[in-house]
Amino acid sequence: MMSGQLFKRTGLLIRLNLKRDWTKILIWTVTLAGLLTAIAAKFDGIYSTSKAIDSIVKTLKSPAMVSLFGAFMAKPPYTTAKIFATEMVVFMAIVMVIMNIMLAVATTRGEEDDGLLELVRAHAVGRLAPLTAGVVELTGLNFVLGLLYGAGLQVSGMPGADTAGNWLIGFGLAAMGWLFGMLTLLIAQLADNAGETTMLSYAIFGVMYIARMSTDVSDPQTTWWIPFGWIEKLSIYQNNDWLPILWMLLFGLVCAGLAATLNWRRDMGAGFIATRQGRRTASPFLAGPMTLLWRESRTALLAWTVGNLVLGAAYGSIFNTIGDLAKSNPMIKQLLGTSALAAANRVIVKNFIAILAIVIVVVALIPAVQTMLKLVSDENKGYLHQLYATATSRWHVWASYTGFALAEALLVYLAGLVGMYVTGLTVMTDPIKWGTYWQVWLAYVPAMLVMVAAASLLAGWLPKWRYLAWFWVLYGFFSLYLGSLIKLPTWAKKVTPLGFVNKVPLKAIDWSTSWWLLGLTVLILVIASIGYRRRDLAQ
Amino acid sequence: MTTPLLKISHLQKRFGKFQALKDIDFEIYPGEVFGFIGPNGAGKSTTIRVLLGILKANGGSATIFGEDVWEKSVAIHQRIAYVPGDVYLWPNLSGGEIIDLFLKMNGEHHSEKTDALIKEFGLDPRKKARTYSKGNRQKVALIAAFSTDADFYIFDEPTSGLDPLNEQTFQEHVLQLKSAGKSILLSSHILSEVEKMCDRIGIIREGAIVETGTLAEMRHLTRTTIDVQTVQPLTGLATLPGVHGLTTKHGENHVSLAVEADQLTAVMQYLTAKQLVTLTSTPPTLEDLFMRYYESPNDARTADGE
Repeated sequence: MMSGQLFKRTGLLIRLNLKRDWTKILIWTVTLAGLLTAIAAKFDGIYSTSKAIDSIVKTLKSPAMVSLFGAFMAKPPYTTAKIFATEMVVFMAIVMVIMNIMLAVATTRGEEDDGLLELVRAHAVGRLAPLTAGVVELTGLNFVLGLLYGAGLQVSGMPGADTAGNWLIGFGLAAMGWLFGMLTLLIAQLADNAGETTMLSYAIFGVMYIARMSTDVSDPQTTWWIPFGWIEKLSIYQNNDWLPILWMLLFGLVCAGLAATLNWRRDMGAGFIATRQGRRTASPFLAGPMTLLWRESRTALLAWTVGNLVLGAAYGSIFNTIGDLAKSNPMIKQLLGTSALAAANRVIVKNFIAILAIVIVVVALIPAVQTMLKLVSDENKGYLHQLYATATSRWHVWASYTGFALAEALLVYLAGLVGMYVTGLTVMTDPIKWGTYWQVWLAYVPAMLVMVAAASLLAGWLPKWRYLAWFWVLYGFFSLYLGSLIKLPTWAKKVTPLGFVNKVPLKAIDWSTSWWLLGLTVLILVIASIGYRRRDLAQ
Repeated sequence: MTTPLLKISHLQKRFGKFQALKDIDFEIYPGEVFGFIGPNGAGKSTTIRVLLGILKANGGSATIFGEDVWEKSVAIHQRIAYVPGDVYLWPNLSGGEIIDLFLKMNGEHHSEKTDALIKEFGLDPRKKARTYSKGNRQKVALIAAFSTDADFYIFDEPTSGLDPLNEQTFQEHVLQLKSAGKSILLSSHILSEVEKMCDRIGIIREGAIVETGTLAEMRHLTRTTIDVQTVQPLTGLATLPGVHGLTTKHGENHVSLAVEADQLTAVMQYLTAKQLVTLTSTPPTLEDLFMRYYESPNDARTADGE
C-alpha cells in the first residue's frame, strides 16, 4: 500500500484531536508547568543555607526517602538545585506518566469504543492516520511541556542550576512522559477495550515503579534495567547526562513502531487479547445494582487490592535496612544498649510507616473515586437508563455505588498495610506489631471517607464538575508527598482532610478529628443522596 | 367510562432555555395500544423519560395507575416494562446476564418464556454486550420486556435496528399482549407498524400534542381521493366547496379529485346526479396523513395540500 494512502488526512485528524482535547491539554500544561516553576522559584527560600542543605541531604540519603525519590546520586558540593532535582524529578515523572496514559487511552481505544473511529475510518482517511494523529498529539504535548519546564527553570534561577541541567529536567520529563504515551498506544492494540488498556498500562507502570524502588534501595546500578528508572540517571546539575533521554526516545520509538504494525494488521474493534464468551444466564448472585457493580468492578478491585498489597509489601521488605541504626554506626549499640537501640530502630521504622501511609492511602483512593464517578459515567453512557425503568429506586443505585466506593477505599487501603506488615514480619528481627498498623488504618479512614463522600456529592449535584474529585485527590497526594520537603504552609496541607491526620503511628490518633471527619462524611452523604434523587438524569 | 391507566395533562419540560415539552395531553386506557408519533426532536422520548421518572417535569401532571410518575416511580416501575430506542448495555456482561438482571430488578425470574423468546429472536445470550450490534442490543431489551409480566409496556422506537423477520416477531408479541388485555405505549416511525397495531394515535410536534384519536377519526379529518367518470359533463364541480386538485383524465367526463371529509356527501350527491359510469374512492394513505401533520400541525385541516 502507498504510504500516502496509509497516512491520508492525518493533519485533519490532529486538528480534530486538539479540538476535542484542548481543555484537558490546557489544564495539564498550565498546572504542571506552573507547579514546577513555582516550586523552583520558592526553593531558594527553603534550602538556601548550607546547614539546611546538609540536613536534607542526610534525609534524602535514608532508604525511606530513596524508596520515594530514587537513589541520592548527587555529589558534594551540594547546591539548592541538586536538592530540587532529587526531590522533584521522580514525582513529576509520575504525574507525566499518568497524563500520558490518560490521553493515549482516550485518543485510541476510547474513540474506538465510542464508535467514533468507525465514522472516521469510513471517510477518505488513511488506515494509520488516527494512530499517527495520536502519536503527533502526544509528542507535541510532551515537547511543549518540556520547553515550558526548561524555560520555567531558567527563569526561576535556583542557586547551583545551570542551563544544561534546566533543559535536561524539562526534556527528561518530556521524554519519560512520551515513552509511556507510546507504550500505552502499543497496549491499546493488545487489549480490546479502553478499560483494559488503562488497567494494563497502570499495571506495567506500577511494576516498574516498585522494581526501581527495590533496586534503588539495594543496588542503584541495576535501576538501569528499568525504563522508568532512567529518569533518575540524568545526573542533573552534575554531569548532565543526556544518554538516558536517548534510551527513552529509542524505547518509545520501538513501542510506537510496534503499535503501528499491530494497528495496521488488526481489525477495528478487535485486540490481540480477545474478549471471552460470557454466561448464558446470570448467576443467582447478580440481582441488583450492588451485585451488578461488583460484577462490573471485581477485576479492577482485585487488581487494586493486589497492587496496593504488593506496594506495601515492597515498602515492608526494606524495613530491616531502614530500621537498623547499628548498620551505619556500629558504636551506637554500645552507647544505647540493646533494648534502647531496638526502641530507637522502631521509632525510625514507625516514622517511615507514617510517611508511606500517604502513598498507600492515595492509591486506595483512586479506585474508590473511580467507582464513585462511574455513577455519572454509567448514566452518561446510557447503561443506567433501562435500570431506572425497573423497580429500582434512585436511592438504591446511589447507595450501591457510594457504599461500594467507600468499602473499596477501606479495603484497598487495608491491603497495603497488610502487605507492609507481612514482609516487615519476615525481614525484621524485632517486627512491628499488627496493632500499630491497625492504628494507622483507623487514623486515615475518616479522612478518606470524606474524600469519597465529596465525589458522591459531585455525582449528586454537579455531575459536570465531577473531575474536581480527581483534582482534590491529586492535590492531596502532592501536598503530603512533597509538602514537608518544599515547606508548604500548614493551611495548604489542610486543603484536603488527609492533612488533618496526625502522624500516626509516631503520634496517637487524634480522636476528636476522627469524629468530626466522620460526622462530616455523614452530612455530605445525606446532601449527596438528596441531590441525586432530585436531579434530571442524562439523556 | 373506565379510568385511564395513564393520564398526562399540560405536561411541560424545559432544558435551560429550550422548552422541550410545551403542552402534552393524552390518556391511555386499559387494554389499549396507543401509537405515539411525531418527527425527530418533537419530544417523544422526553415525554417517555418524564413518564419513567428519569426527568422531572416543570409543569403539568402525569400519572400512571393513578400515581404520580415522579413521586411513585418505583411502585409504578414494578408494573411496567420499557424498551428504549437506543439500548446501551454494560459492555462486559453477556446478553443472557443482562436479561436476567432486568427481570430480577422487577422481582421476576428467568422462565421458559424467556428461553423461548431468546430462541425466537435468535439472540446468542453468551456473547458480551460489547460485541452486539444495535439490533442485538435491542433484542436484549425486547426479550427482557416481553418476558416481564407487566400491566403497561412502553416501547420507544423499539424496532429501528431489527431485521424484517425480527420486526415481525415483535409485532406478533405486541398483538399477543394486546389480546391479553395489556396496555401499550408505542412510539414509532414505522407507520405500517402503527397502523397494524394501534387503537389510538397521538401526534406530537414541537413539544405539543397536535392530534389524538383513532385512525378512522383521523382519516375523517383529511381528504378522500375520488376517480370518477360520468355520463353528463362535470362543469360545476370545481366550484363546489371542499374539492381540491381537480384533474382531467383521458376519456370523456373522467376526472380525479380530492374531497374533504365533511363535504363528501354533498360532492357524492352532485356526482350521482351526473349519472356515474365508474367510481373508485381511495382513503388517504397513512403517509399522506402524517406528512400533513408533520409539516404544518396547526392548520392541518385547512391547509391546501397542492
